[in-house]
Amino acid sequence: MPDLPPTSPPPDRTIRRMLALFAIISAVLIAVVAIAVRNINRAETSSDWVNHTHAVILEADAVLVGVHAGESALRTFAMTGDARDQAAAREAFAAMSEDLEIAKALTRDAPPQHEQILRLEALATKRADIAQRVFAAWPADQPEAIRLLTGAEATAASIGEIRRIGDKLKDDEMALLAERDTASYLQAQTTRWTVWSGVVLDFILLGLVAWLIRDDLAARRRIAAALEQANAQLETKVRERTAELSTTNEKLVAENLEQRWAQQAAEHQLRYYQIVFNSLNDLVLVITKAMNISRVNSAVTRVTAHDPSALIDRPLASFVQLADHAEAALDPLAQALREGREVRSQPAVITDARGRRVPARLTLFPVRDRDKVVGGVVVLELLTLDSSPAA
Amino acid sequence: MKKHILIVDDEVEIRDLLQLFLTSSGYRVSAVETSLEAQRLVLTDKPDLIISDLQLEDSDGLEMIEKLRATLRDTPVILLTGVLFDAQSFRDTLSKKVSLYLIKTTPLARIKVEIDRLLGK
Repeated sequence: MPDLPPTSPPPDRTIRRMLALFAIISAVLIAVVAIAVRNINRAETSSDWVNHTHAVILEADAVLVGVHAGESALRTFAMTGDARDQAAAREAFAAMSEDLEIAKALTRDAPPQHEQILRLEALATKRADIAQRVFAAWPADQPEAIRLLTGAEATAASIGEIRRIGDKLKDDEMALLAERDTASYLQAQTTRWTVWSGVVLDFILLGLVAWLIRDDLAARRRIAAALEQANAQLETKVRERTAELSTTNEKLVAENLEQRWAQQAAEHQLRYYQIVFNSLNDLVLVITKAMNISRVNSAVTRVTAHDPSALIDRPLASFVQLADHAEAALDPLAQALREGREVRSQPAVITDARGRRVPARLTLFPVRDRDKVVGGVVVLELLTLDSSPAA
Repeated sequence: MKKHILIVDDEVEIRDLLQLFLTSSGYRVSAVETSLEAQRLVLTDKPDLIISDLQLEDSDGLEMIEKLRATLRDTPVILLTGVLFDAQSFRDTLSKKVSLYLIKTTPLARIKVEIDRLLGK
């Protein structure tokens, strides 16, 4: 197997990294959105508070305007005694009273401001009471009315005091407005920074994801190229191996064919020689070096009625003897075989299956394997003309 | 174009094995059993080489070769037989009729070499 080239982190690890980055991106986005929403809510609250504060200031202003308007109308009435001035004064104090009620309602949840409004109310109410008493004393007791009017300036409920309290209330509210404005600005800055930081961080993370994707694609391309190369090498090896196997197979087939041919040829030869051997009219016996019969042709069976199995591995002397050497059996043949000599046309006697003696002429051919005598072939030519099977 | 070889042998095993071997060696092979079949075949499909046994059922292989010579004067003939001839006998008699004498125990590879040589491959 060919070695694969080194590659980048495995794709599954890259995917895990990308998922982690997307999770971080999502978390950053969620955090940015949460912070933005929270700041928007705060801004809304702050805006409500600013409106409320402005309303308090306006109402405080309205109270002061009411006091001044009432006071002005009262003084004018003191000089003219005109009922219209009196009505204007009453109307101004009545409006002031309404404004005070509104201011109290607006500052109900803000104790310090509420406290100031109550103080303002106390002083303004005294001024309204003085006005009521002036109207009650007028015109029957004008000097008392004048005294009440001028005496009021010396008391704690003087116009100056009322203005001071009102101005203080407004200044406090303005200071709070300025403080809230600074806080709002800082909050807006924080929101801006948070959003921009989140966006920038997300873009950086997205860039990182893009880099990871690019890196992963490059790794996949490298792996694909390596696999392709490995496949090509494998295919080459398979082709080579197939060719080797094919060659081996052809060789085996050829060897097999050769073996079958050799066997057929050997059988053919054997059959051929068997036919030739059995076609001979003379009696042919193949003997071993020890003078034992190892093979006979068909003529032996035909003429002597001996079954081949009764002759094979039996001494030649039990089948045939030399006529002139009855006493010595086959000693001259054995000696000739040992010496590798041929013995030609010697008179001999065959004993057939029934024990009858048949005259014949014996010839012995030594059989040599290279230079060594390994056995012999005995050919018996019958001296009688009748070579039919023995009856 | 593949060279055409005619096999004449009365032994079916020998005939089939030789035909299989020569076909797988890239030759076009016709195999017949008798001399008569061989004489008929050469009239329609002339062989480039003849391989014949000596002893056929209906004729002597050498006799058949002489008859075929009338049609195939220059076609090489291999006598493939189980009968052993000595070199002198071959030179004196067989060489006039056949191009080559091979005993049947000759290995197939050697037979192919001789065929290739006779066909000029």
